[in-house]
Formats: sequence, C-alpha cells, structure tokens
Amino acid sequence: MQNRFGIKDFLVLLLLLAILSTQWLAMIQRDRQWPLLQTVADQVRSLEERLAALDARIGQGALTTAGTTASSQSTAAPPVAPASSASWAREGVPISWQPEPGFASDPTKVPGFRVGGEWVEVFEGQPQKLTPYLYADVYGNRVVDRVCESMGTFDPKTMQLVGALADAWQIDPDGEWIRVHINERAKFSDGSPVTSEDVRWTYEDFILNPAIDADRSRSTLADILDKVEVIDDLTVEFKFKDALFTNILIALGEPILPKRYYAQFEAAQINQGTGLLMGSGPYMLEQRVATPADLAAQWTPGQDVVLVRNSNWWVGRAPLERQRFRIIKDDLARLVAYDNNEASMVLPTSPQFNALLRDRADFEKTNYALKWVNMRSGYSFIAWQCGPRGETGRMTPFVDVRVRKAMTLLLDREKMIRDIWDGIGMVAKGPFNPESPASDPSLSPLAFDPAGAALLLTAAGWEDRNKDGVLENAKGEKFEFEYTYATGGEISERIARFVSDAYRKAGIEVTTRPIDWARYQDLLKSRDFDAITLAWSANSPESDPRQTFHSESMAKGRDNFSQWSSPEADMLIEKGRRTMDPETRMLVWHELERTIAEGQPYTFIRVAPWLRLIKRNFGNVRMYKTGLSPEEYFFAGSTSSIKPGT
Amino acid sequence: MLPYISRRLLFMIPTLIGMTLMVYTLIALAPGGFSASASAAAGGGSPAGGDPRIAEAKFRDRFLLDEPVLVQYGRWLARVFPIKFGERAQIDATGERIYPPAALPETMMVGSWGGDDPGRAVRVACDMTRSAFVAAAEGPERQAQYRALSREAKAGREAFVGALTQLRIALAEYATATKQGALVDRRGELQAPQLDHLVVDESASTWAAVRMAADTATATYARAAGARAALEASFESRPFTQAGIGILPGILSVGAPDLGWSRTKNRPVGSLIMEALPVTLLINVVAFPLIYLVSIPTGMLAAARRGSLFDVISGGVFIALWSIPVVWAGVLAVGFLASNQYLGLFPVAGLHSAESSSMAFLPGWGPSGFSRGWLLDLGWHLVLPVVCLVYAGFAVLSRQTRAAMLDNLNADYVRTAKAKGVPRHDIILRHVFRNSLLPLITMFVSIFPAMLAGSVIVEKIFSVPGMGSLMLEAISLHDAEIMLANTVMIGCVSLMALLLADILYALADPRVSYA
Repeated sequence: MQNRFGIKDFLVLLLLLAILSTQWLAMIQRDRQWPLLQTVADQVRSLEERLAALDARIGQGALTTAGTTASSQSTAAPPVAPASSASWAREGVPISWQPEPGFASDPTKVPGFRVGGEWVEVFEGQPQKLTPYLYADVYGNRVVDRVCESMGTFDPKTMQLVGALADAWQIDPDGEWIRVHINERAKFSDGSPVTSEDVRWTYEDFILNPAIDADRSRSTLADILDKVEVIDDLTVEFKFKDALFTNILIALGEPILPKRYYAQFEAAQINQGTGLLMGSGPYMLEQRVATPADLAAQWTPGQDVVLVRNSNWWVGRAPLERQRFRIIKDDLARLVAYDNNEASMVLPTSPQFNALLRDRADFEKTNYALKWVNMRSGYSFIAWQCGPRGETGRMTPFVDVRVRKAMTLLLDREKMIRDIWDGIGMVAKGPFNPESPASDPSLSPLAFDPAGAALLLTAAGWEDRNKDGVLENAKGEKFEFEYTYATGGEISERIARFVSDAYRKAGIEVTTRPIDWARYQDLLKSRDFDAITLAWSANSPESDPRQTFHSESMAKGRDNFSQWSSPEADMLIEKGRRTMDPETRMLVWHELERTIAEGQPYTFIRVAPWLRLIKRNFGNVRMYKTGLSPEEYFFAGSTSSIKPGT
Repeated sequence: MLPYISRRLLFMIPTLIGMTLMVYTLIALAPGGFSASASAAAGGGSPAGGDPRIAEAKFRDRFLLDEPVLVQYGRWLARVFPIKFGERAQIDATGERIYPPAALPETMMVGSWGGDDPGRAVRVACDMTRSAFVAAAEGPERQAQYRALSREAKAGREAFVGALTQLRIALAEYATATKQGALVDRRGELQAPQLDHLVVDESASTWAAVRMAADTATATYARAAGARAALEASFESRPFTQAGIGILPGILSVGAPDLGWSRTKNRPVGSLIMEALPVTLLINVVAFPLIYLVSIPTGMLAAARRGSLFDVISGGVFIALWSIPVVWAGVLAVGFLASNQYLGLFPVAGLHSAESSSMAFLPGWGPSGFSRGWLLDLGWHLVLPVVCLVYAGFAVLSRQTRAAMLDNLNADYVRTAKAKGVPRHDIILRHVFRNSLLPLITMFVSIFPAMLAGSVIVEKIFSVPGMGSLMLEAISLHDAEIMLANTVMIGCVSLMALLLADILYALADPRVSYA
C-alpha cells in the first residue's frame, strides 16, 4: 500500500521541529551570557586595579583627609596661583586664572541626596552617529556634550566663559593668539592624562584632517585657525589668521579628544563608525569600543544610547549611575511614555505643556514643569527683502525702512504668541538672546501700533488712493508681497494665516508661498523672496553678527539674505568683532542691537523658551542660563518626590 | 521553461536601468535637485562661520554634484551594477571601497587665467610625478603610502575647490561692479561658460581681486593636480586587495553593488539599510502570516455558508476594520492601551524594554518570579505595531478568497463531484480550495515587495526604526542615495516576485506553459 503522509507523520515532524527550535533558542540564550560575563570580568579587573592603586597609596601614607571633591568652588573667588607655576606663560601678558571646575550647585548638599539610579531622556529623532565632529544632528551633540569636555565652558549661572579642561589662559590683547594651560589633574575616561598633544591632535589631525568627514567643523576652523603649537606637556598656543573675538570661543569651545584612542583607527573606520566616542566628561558610553578589533560591538542607530558614570572623572563624581536616551518619534507617545514612568524628562509641545498644568491639579506635585529662556533659546523672525529680489531683480516695498518698521508695528506679536504658541514665549527684540549680556535690557520690542504704522506707510507714499481697501503708491501700484514659509508644520501654517490676515486688514495684499524645506536654503541663497520666515538657533551667549547683518554678507549665497545694508551696523560689527574685552564688546553689541531695531531688516517674532517636564523623584534640578546640567542630578528613589520649591 | 526564465532575467536589466533612470531624473528635476540635500545637510539652524559659498562648493565637490546629471547617473550605475567595467575598485581591511581618484573640476577656467597655458606645464609635471612614482614595499607600507598621498590629495583638492570658488566669486563681484551682473548665477558665482561674454576692464578696482584669486587658483591647481597624479600612481600600484572577481583583467569584472554614501546622515547607505531592513522584515514576518491565517479560513467559511449570519458579520466587521485609518487607530492604541492612565497593557514605543539587554533570552521563573526574557519582551513590544498593520488587511484577502471559492463552487466539476456523492468537506478542501488558491498565490507574490518597503505611519507612531521611516526621512531631505538604493532594492524584489508568480502559475495550472 502507498505510504501516505498522515496526521501521525505530521505530528512527529512538528515534534522534531519543536525540539530543534528549542535547542536553537537555548543556544542563543547561552550565547547572550558571554558578553555579559565579559563585561563583569572587565569591571572586576578594573576594580582590582583601582584597589591595588589605592592600596599602594595607603601604603605610602599619601591619603589625606578629604580629596578634591567637586564642591561649589566655582562661586569662590578665582584662585591666584603661585608665581612659580606661571613658567608656561608668555611674559608681559596677564594670565587669567580659572576657578577649579565643579558642580554649579552641589548635589550632596541637597536633602535626600543619594548615589545611583538611571536618568532617561527622550530623543524626537534617531541620532545617526555619536562620534564627535562627525555627527549630523542635535542628538549627537547632546550625547557628546556629556561625554566630552572642551578647554572652556560657559558658567551656568553667569554665562561667563570659564575654564573646564583649562585652568588658565592668556589672551593676546591684539587677538592673534591665545595660550592655554591645561589642568594637570584632567584625565580621559581611560585614566590617561589630557595633554597638550591631545589638544593639538584634535584640531590639526582630526578636525582639519581632510580624510575625516568633519566637513562642517573643518570649514569653519580652516578659515580661522592658523596653527596649534605645543609649548609644553600642558600648554598649547593657538595662532589665528585674523584677530576676532570668536577665536576664543573656537579655541576653547571644541571638545578635546584622546589622541591615544582615536589615532588607532583608520580614517575610514572613523567615518563609517557610529559610536566612537570617548572623552574626559562625567559620563562615558556603555558600548565602548576599545580597539579596532571590536568595532563590531559599537553602538548603532536603533538602540537606546546608554551612558554610564565615568568613575575616573577628574572633576568629581556624578550622582546618577546611568543616563539613557530613548527614541520616540510621536508627540503623544512621548508624553505617554513619560507618564508611564518610562522617561525621566520629556520636551512637551506648548499646548501639551499648558494642558497638563491646566487639567491635572496635582501635576506639579510629582513633576517639575520648567519653562525658561536660556542661552540656547533661538528666535523666529520674518526677513524682509531690502534689496533686489533674486531672479527678477524687482525692488520690493521693503527697501524703505519706514515700510519695514510699519510691517513690524502692524503685527500684534503678543497676540500671535497667545494664539499660535498657547501663550508660551516672549516677543523678540533683536538678534541677541535676551538672557545674554549682549542684549541691552533697557531696549524693549516695538509695540503693536496700527495707527503709527499707517502714518509711516503714508509717509512712505502708500495710501489707499482709489478707496478699494488696498494701499497704492503714487504710481498706482498696489502694495502686495509674497510671504514664503516652509511646509510641513502646523505652526508655520498658522503663522502664515495670522500674518496674511494682519496685513490684509491694513490694506496690504499677501500671497502665501509654501516651500519644501529641502529647497529653502536654495531660495535664501538666491534671494528669491519678498518676505520669508525662519528661526535661528543658538548655542552660546553671543554669535558673530557679521554673517547675517554685515553688508559684505549681502553677496548671493551668504547669510545676509535680507540684503540689508547699513554703514553704521557694518562699523559696529567690525568694531565688536575686534574687541577682545568682553565688557567693552557687549556695549558695542548693545549699540548694534539698537541699530538693527532701527533698521528692522527682520521683524523679530518670538524667543522660544525651553519647556521641560521632569519627574520630581530627581533632585537638584535647576534652570540655568546655559540650559540643564543632568550630571549634577540625583535620583531620590522611585517613590519619593522632591518637594516643590527645593 | 529554462530559456523563458533566462530571457526574463535578461529583460530585468533594462527594466531596472529604466526604473532607476526615471527616479534619478525625477529627483534631479525636483526643485532644488540633488543639491537640495546638500544644503539641508550643510546648513544647520544657525548661521555658518566663514563664507558659506566656499563650504558648499567643497561639499558639492566631495560628492561631485556639479557634473551633468547623466554623468552622475552613469557613475552611480557603475557603482551599483554588479558587472563592472574598467579598472577594479579596491577594498581595504576596514571594508571601505577605494576608487580611482576623480578628475579635478573645470581645469579650463584656471588654464585660461595664468598667461601662457599653465595647464600644459601642470600636465607635464603630473606625467613626471606619475613616472617618478616609486611604490613602497607591498603590504602595510604601501597602504600607508597610499593613505598619506590620499590625505595630501584631498587637502589639495579642497584648497583648489576653495580657490576656484573664490575666483568665481571675485569674477562675479567684478561683473556686478562693471554692470555685467546678468552673467552671475543664482549661487552668486560666475561659471566658466560665462567667461567668454565677460568684458574685461583691467583698470577696474575689483579686477585686482580677480587677478589675485586667479593666481591662487592656478597655484592650488598645480598642487592639487600633482597630488592627484601621485595618488593615481599609488592607486595603480594596488596597495589593497581588488574588489570583486575579475573576468577580463582591467576590462570586465563582477563585484558587489556599492550603494553609496548618504549625504544627510553622513553614513554608508548599505549599513543604513542593513539596520532598517531586519526590523521591517521582523514585523512583516509576524504580520503577514497572521493576515493569511485569519482571512483565508474566514473567507472559505463565508463562501461555504454564503448568505449566513457568519458571512454577513465577518464581511461587515472586516470592512469596518478596513475603513479605520491607521493614524487614528495607532494614536488610540498608544493613548488607551499603552498609557498607564488607562489600561497600560503594552509598551509605548520601540522594540525592546530598557532593561532587555540584561534579560535572559527565554522566559523563565527566577527567584524574583516570572521574568519575560528578551524574546517575549520583543513579542510584547510587537503586539501594537503588528495589530495596526494587520487589521486593515483582513477585508481584501478574505473577500478575495470568498469570491474565488464562490466561482469554483458554481463550477460544473463541483456539481459532478456532488452528484458522485463526494462528502461536502472533501469538495470544499480538496477541489474548490485548491483551485481557488491560484489568485491567492499571485496576490501574495505581489504583496511581498511591500513587506520590504515598511509602513511609514505605524513606524512613526510606535518609533520603530524600519525602512518606512528611513525612506520618509530620505524623501523629506531629498537624500538621493537612499531613495535610489531603495528603488533598486524594491525593484529587484518586485521583478523577482513577478517572475516567481509566473513560474508558480505554470506549476500550479497545467493549462499555462511558457515553452
């Protein structure tokens, strides 16, 4: 009889398959234990090494009472170093000694302080790379900031430039060089000291190396930096091509990389790598790659980014054991994850922020709802075409300063912020961040004043001559313009509607022109717009205004796309850029701010404050002028919550 | 059969080329073209330092974006096409492909500026460099030599591109100053073809700047060309292993496709896809069998009991599900099923819990009670995305099954079988269902490419890093390399799937033959 495939055979086959697949799964299970064991073994080894070192030091009797802990020494007066230690310096130029780095506010002094715990932040998009200088998004930047340190940093409370890796520097009064002395205690997370050779290598052989894909940093640096010279083990001197105040920010602001670590990789490995990250900061990447042999183990996009405390951090000890960055792309899902306690901090949208505070009475008992303007708050604006428009060369009505001023007066920006951003934000008055010393606190933004605007427009020749509700000039041409904005955001759609309504009411015809973001830059470069809306972001208290407001940047392709030219502003910008003394420079910027307000090349709309929701079971959460400092937070326990007000 | 298959396979080549050419042209024709992604990647949200025109020129040169679109397409095709012509690329130990150095841009512009044809002098010097080149000992030394020369050549090239852009800018400034502004292009530069129309007035104050820029450009050109010649010679000494398999030395070879470098993400496209594809496949491998397992039995049952309550209800429910938009369902699922304020049954986002890396692989009972294990954790995270992918798919497939079954149920052979006294379930399973399978096979094959494409909406709502989100980001940033790589991949799979469908047809239906 023919042997047919029956139910019994089927069952036997199924059983066989089940046995095989369990075997296979068990093998994977086993396999997964190996890397874990490896990490544990590594940790034990490093602990042993540290213990042995400690032992040796005890044996030598070199243990003093209290080591250098990271207390709030930054508030103390800058220490004056003994004269003998200034041998590294150039003669005749004053040395600026920097305070010992430390926490801006000491977490150990806050009640409820504990060590350990995990901090979870949420990214709205997928970071592609964590390698310093090669990352292409803000998320990479946020991770690198916690792992790497630069020579100097901005003091969270005063926004002054203070030393991080550097403990002193000398600045050439003419601005052509700056000599920096590295703190002798500074060391990278692998325990090796930070030396002047690391600094030189980072600038000359990493950023300026054409084989490394750090194009953006390189093009900025190549224009400015002449060379980096090693003076001794801890001293470097930067020489610049031109004397500008931004030199100092560039010399002191770039993260310093350990040469010993990065030099072992080929340029191609660095370019293709996704997680080659090592520095001297409070945290280090959990998935570290020690040698080119284990490149396959590096962090890749799609995984959470996990940082662990750098136990070798030379400044002190960060209270939190781990920092994790999760990726959640959807607005609602982010908030739900935060609510579910799957995240410690989240960036809400303005309506979400207000709705939570309004609808949940006890929200602030368990959460910090933070809203503040800091040096990283950017501003949004409408740029008016003050020169000939791109392709056609046609002159827009905005050539006349009176018209530009009237355009600002016609826009009720307070109402705009109320309607569009749910009341969150403040009216911007100029290109400088209102928290920055570069901005003059006595200057206030132009008020909403339609009557004043009408007077200005009449003076400029724009009147409703034929009583059709639309303004005309003496030649009988209608006042009309095109408003360009980027597609894809609800907010920009609403701004466009608000703006066109406001101007139509005043008798100005507005056509809106939505443009794909990928094309926006092209449009800016070719000046092919009448009015365009955009926002600038910031990451330091002052930036060089030359790019956006100097008449030399008016040439096509540069960033003065509104083609505004003012001899007075040019003069002030040149003067400010070459003033090395911060205080004098700030006065120049104040004057420039006024000049720009007079000229109104932009209608400044809104300074966007930071919005953050943070769980109250984290302590020492403070709003700083530089942003947030999660390296000084501590976890008070899953059930406890820090009382409001502390 | 075999000749038919090979004919179809050969036809795929022109089809694929046509497909990619079309996508390529579409991207090139889109406003902003290829450079759109360049500017989106180069410009951040804050004003750049230095002259952005020079930075952009260097960026464009790095990806050779200034060449004619067809030339760019040809180069792209040569990289992707598995059959390669000419000198083979080389692969270093890190897996990086090394190609012969690209030609320098627009030498003619510089050539006409340095007096008595400096271009020729440079060419002679380059030939000398090339013939004087001595390759280091084979192995690491020769590789180190190549790398040093490569760095030199890159630096030289960048300097030259910068100087050339500076020259174009100086020319544009001169043109504007002497009222010849019409010659300037929208990037604020004056390109080589416009030079012939430029009226030169040496007494103009801006002319000095032009002369100076021209001198720098000529000097940097000599340096860049020399460095490039040395690099070329070093490349020809084959410091690294050659890629692919040679067929005719120096003329024809076969090699793996190189999908290029994503400009917006600054990473190789191949590795971007290798990260996203497994995620999408995983979800779809779970989702598609589910759709089939539910809708085919329901469709069969509905056909067998046509007009019954079950038929009506299953039809109604599936159509109702089909009409719920995924965006809405996804948001509701996150808001109600995932939020702890409501049910909190499922995780909100991602594919793994935070602690999943320290979990055991399989579920088990430990000292602290039941632990999910990595595998079950993954399954738990997959529930919501898979449900959102699946629910709308039931309607089409079950209706299709039902219609096909009904067609066959009314056929003559069924009546004959009934008359012979074959039991009803035998009729349905053996005769009707087998015959109704044909359209379902074709349907599956045509759905298969969609499995690779991923679902944009579900991936965004549940933060799943799959192909859908990769493609969406690529489109919004005009990242041509990713879009093209995806086109090639989906194109290949679609064509193969169509071929497979035709073969299966012939196998399943004796009436079809391709002999």
